[in-house]
Amino acid sequence: MLRGPYPAYFVLPALVLYLTFFIVPSIGGIGYSFTDWNSYSTEVNFIGLDNYARIFSPKERYLTYLANTMIFAVVSIALKTVLGLGLAVLLHEGVKRFVNLYRVLIYLPVVLPTLIVALIFKSILNPATGLLNSFLRSVGLDGFALQWLVDPRIALFSIIGVDTWKGVGFITVILLAGLQTIPKEYYEAAKIDGAGAWARFRHVTIPMLMPAIVVVTVLNVLHGLRVFDIVYALTNGGPGYATEVIYTEIFKAFSQGRFGLGTAISSVLFVILAVAGYFVIRLLERKPTR
Amino acid sequence: MRSRIVAQALASAAFGALAMAAIGITPANAEGTTLTYLASQGWVADAELELGKKFEEQTGIHIDYQIIPSDQYFSVLRTKLNSGEAPDIFGGQSGVTDLQLQYNVEKNALDLSNEPWAKLEDPLVAAQASVDGKLYGLTYWDTLGGPPVVNYNKEIFARFNLEAPTSFEGLKTICTTLLDNGIQPIYEPVSDGWHHVLWFFELGPHYEKVTPGLAEALNANQATFSENEAMLTVLTQLKDLYDSGCFGTNALSDAYSESGKVMAEGDAAMVLAANGFIQQMKNDFPDIDANNYGIFLIPLGDNQQLNINPAGPTKFVSATSPHADAAKQYLQFLTQPENMQYFIDHSPQFNNLPFPGLTSKLSPETQAFMDRYKDARGTVYQTAVTYANAQWMDVGKDLTAMFTGAMQPADVLSSIDSRRTDLARTARDPAWQ
Repeated sequence: MLRGPYPAYFVLPALVLYLTFFIVPSIGGIGYSFTDWNSYSTEVNFIGLDNYARIFSPKERYLTYLANTMIFAVVSIALKTVLGLGLAVLLHEGVKRFVNLYRVLIYLPVVLPTLIVALIFKSILNPATGLLNSFLRSVGLDGFALQWLVDPRIALFSIIGVDTWKGVGFITVILLAGLQTIPKEYYEAAKIDGAGAWARFRHVTIPMLMPAIVVVTVLNVLHGLRVFDIVYALTNGGPGYATEVIYTEIFKAFSQGRFGLGTAISSVLFVILAVAGYFVIRLLERKPTR
Repeated sequence: MRSRIVAQALASAAFGALAMAAIGITPANAEGTTLTYLASQGWVADAELELGKKFEEQTGIHIDYQIIPSDQYFSVLRTKLNSGEAPDIFGGQSGVTDLQLQYNVEKNALDLSNEPWAKLEDPLVAAQASVDGKLYGLTYWDTLGGPPVVNYNKEIFARFNLEAPTSFEGLKTICTTLLDNGIQPIYEPVSDGWHHVLWFFELGPHYEKVTPGLAEALNANQATFSENEAMLTVLTQLKDLYDSGCFGTNALSDAYSESGKVMAEGDAAMVLAANGFIQQMKNDFPDIDANNYGIFLIPLGDNQQLNINPAGPTKFVSATSPHADAAKQYLQFLTQPENMQYFIDHSPQFNNLPFPGLTSKLSPETQAFMDRYKDARGTVYQTAVTYANAQWMDVGKDLTAMFTGAMQPADVLSSIDSRRTDLARTARDPAWQ
């Protein structure tokens, strides 16, 4: 029987710490989701699945918040990936001068605090005095001067736009790193075989870049499903409830002292994240087609 | 000889007691005592700190003011109350819900009903610091001076022969006239999430006038918001104002911080704001003529009742305080007429205190307005009705959804009922069991 270089009990300190600070609190949290734990009373009573029944009840708005979260995640993943890929290709092959300057400019929004970004965009997107509508009106595009953050039909998409602006630089950097690892010989061979630019992009770049695309998809899924700060700072879930997402509800439940309900919503999100993570990891395990 | 000494001692004690009573302070034999006073940031004005020094000079009792950041205050206070480390005096917001839910004053605070100042305090204010007829706290705050009313530009009104309305139809006529002449009638900053809720909850006295005893019935779970016709009318009229453009085209993105500028520059004719708004505007924009602005009651539902919010930061004496007499002595000191007047005169943010015989800093016009409704006033519903204030921002969201068409007025009322039920059950309120 093969034995490792260290005895098994060496793992104990790390295991104990992990169990104490991660596993036990997580299980405890899930346990509390079956109670009416709140800040108004010292009593904590077991209430079965009441909190979950409430979350999935059509009378409540939680399913709408869940749908908003999904829309945010899917649209922002698509936008960031497509734009990030375009920018990465542009930086890798299209731009010849000031490449580093462009990289810095594209990455800059990533390092800005979300609150600052939200404050800037709240001002830019103000329908009456904002820079965007002023510009649109000044060039005669009055019809495109919309109520960006206060029209319930477009507010969520405005937030997605701001989040994409802030996050696309990060995706670009990862995809650019992926592009730089693709050997030039593949492109040369494809060229000799008569492949045009689109065919090379489709049959060489995309398959070879798939591991990096999967990584950014994983990161985007996690970010998209856990979105909170940009929504909270830009619209606080409004107008009305039009842009509420799961995390704004979790925040509200905890700030109102309804800890049992808050942990139940968190547990639902945990399951969604786990399922999404599982499928993305399955994708990750697939070999790129050549 | 011994009897003479005893008689002299008794006479001296009696004289001393009389002298102390004359300046309003009862003896406590507490020289050298330090009272701990826990309060949230902003609840202890500079003028009170000065009064605390005077109190120490007169009595030798030192006040240790322990000021806690607002966002941590309730956690710190609750921890101290529950762990038996309560301060001698603690601050808290009065109000029928908070008094029991947040502070459990029947257990944690002393009954102050027999204190000399208790009978003098404004009854609306005292009621918000009382449970079952027992007064538990001193509300040392200007709770009566600044109710939100509609502030209007007299010059704009005069230009179109308009007068302050007393009914919803009157307000609608004004709005239509102003809109026809290209003037935004009302500046309503919905984006802040809280301001537009004032139009609804501040009308508590009106709801009470239409249905006497409604607040009590709501608190006993014997009535609901959704059954109330007066409330439905008010919300329908509020939606009508929004839909007809009275709030302008950008109400959903307008912010309250701009209201002074908008009114000073004449960009809108009216705004709902505290009745000290005009004075504040004069401070911020010295070029304006304060006489050019006036106030009138919120006319939704044809309301003619003055909205008063008698709840505010209140001082409670801990039930477990070892220095309860000294703590009561401090409250008694604060409520001496000359000390209350000192507090008003040296606190820019306050115009008055809820006690009689004090000189208010309100302008003569505002004072006359307040006096006009002396017998036609009542408590706003965020204070009079349980679980209303706790859902203020949620109601703000409901109303915004009502403006955008995602909810109807009746839905908003049902939503308020639903959240009240939820909060009451969470708090294990006996009326909801």
